[in-house]
Amino acid sequence: MFLRVICSPQLPASSSQIGRKNLIWVESNGGRYIPAVGDLVIGTVHHSAADFFYVTLSDYTSNATLPQLAFEMASKKNRPQLHSGDLVYARVSLANRHMDPELECVSPSTGKAEGLGPLSEGMLYSISLGMARRLLMRKSAEEGKVVVLDELGSAGLAFETAVGRNGKMWVNSKDMKTVLVVGRAVTETDEKSLAVEQQKKLVRKLVKEMA
Amino acid sequence: MTTTTSGPEALLSHLHSADGSATFSYAGYTIIGAVNGPIEAQRRDEIPEEAVVDVVVRPAAGVGGTRERHLEALLQSTLRQIILVTNFPRALIQITLQVTVAPENEYVNTKVVQANTNLPMLPALIQTAVLALMSAAIPLTATLTSVVIAATTEDGSNRDIINPTAREIEKSRSLHVFAFTSHGDLILTQSEGEFTMKEWEDILASAQQQCCPNTSGDVNMGDDAATGADLGTFTRSVMEAKIASDLYWK
Repeated sequence: MFLRVICSPQLPASSSQIGRKNLIWVESNGGRYIPAVGDLVIGTVHHSAADFFYVTLSDYTSNATLPQLAFEMASKKNRPQLHSGDLVYARVSLANRHMDPELECVSPSTGKAEGLGPLSEGMLYSISLGMARRLLMRKSAEEGKVVVLDELGSAGLAFETAVGRNGKMWVNSKDMKTVLVVGRAVTETDEKSLAVEQQKKLVRKLVKEMA
Repeated sequence: MTTTTSGPEALLSHLHSADGSATFSYAGYTIIGAVNGPIEAQRRDEIPEEAVVDVVVRPAAGVGGTRERHLEALLQSTLRQIILVTNFPRALIQITLQVTVAPENEYVNTKVVQANTNLPMLPALIQTAVLALMSAAIPLTATLTSVVIAATTEDGSNRDIINPTAREIEKSRSLHVFAFTSHGDLILTQSEGEFTMKEWEDILASAQQQCCPNTSGDVNMGDDAATGADLGTFTRSVMEAKIASDLYWK
């Protein structure tokens, strides 16, 4: 029997893709983000043209396109004004190896943003693809064993985050110090491969230093 | 520097800005490999249906010359056969290999008469490239193992030396490099010097035994032929350790 083994940080989003015969997916942590339909990503606007925004998902890859009308309540007269360098939280709506990926900031079925759209203010951190995947898990604390965000929240910090499957994390808070602490806690957990207990210890240390 | 006897060593994903990287030390060579890709290819280089594989070899000292260009050409044509290039049309996969340590007495005459010493470095370059590609999670059809063998004549009897030193290469009649895929297929062969077809076939057999010990059903050759490390198993165990450390949280 011929077995095809794919080493990838990106397991398929939908289970129908796993069903292919004689195929094993081995999860890993390295490599470059390759867009797949349904992935939530954080992109940087590169430039805008008549109908599209051109959005960078990772360095040195061709831009993804984001239609200017793919936002909640967008119309020809009322569309978001995004400039070069702005961040957007979007879903990959079309990914195909022969074409540049396409994004959307609105659910095509409900017409609602569902949390997607431009990200204003805040700070962007680069994390590994494996870490992004863990943070995006439905139960990131139980399945992904990342508790930093929960711990920071229960330590009394108020902040919001958005995680992109392309290895980006956006953090925002009214307090700049909180933004830095949250970003540092997650990047450190990622780089030093911290276990649950170590993550709790790190959060306690960071919160103590902050006060 | 008699590193020929020590086993291979590798370090994976240690460069932060590259998508994948590996440092590989074996047989007196230490090579750092970095892989970036799939990234956007330049418009004039892109291939509509396939990825472009770009290999850059940089020597331990100075800038590359014809010797490096030759190695790059060999590596490029070998690697694009195992990379699933059709998965990334119009993209570029860039492989940079920096030699940091070469065997001390490699430049025997110090003068640049290198055209005949291209080959000994090839197995280490191939191994580094494959490890770096796996670190970058580039889909491959197979991994490679490679070996360099020198055919020498000592006291009238022929002897094949696996991973020969520079002096042994100098004295040898012919030098051969073979690379095999993990399925046991021959993918690259380069030879130089004088040899007969019969000799080449014998050397091929011992290379096969060296590179894919599991696929060739023969027993170990025993006697004086020094056997090197089993690079196939080595690659496998390095990858296993890498995946295990990636999934530390599971």
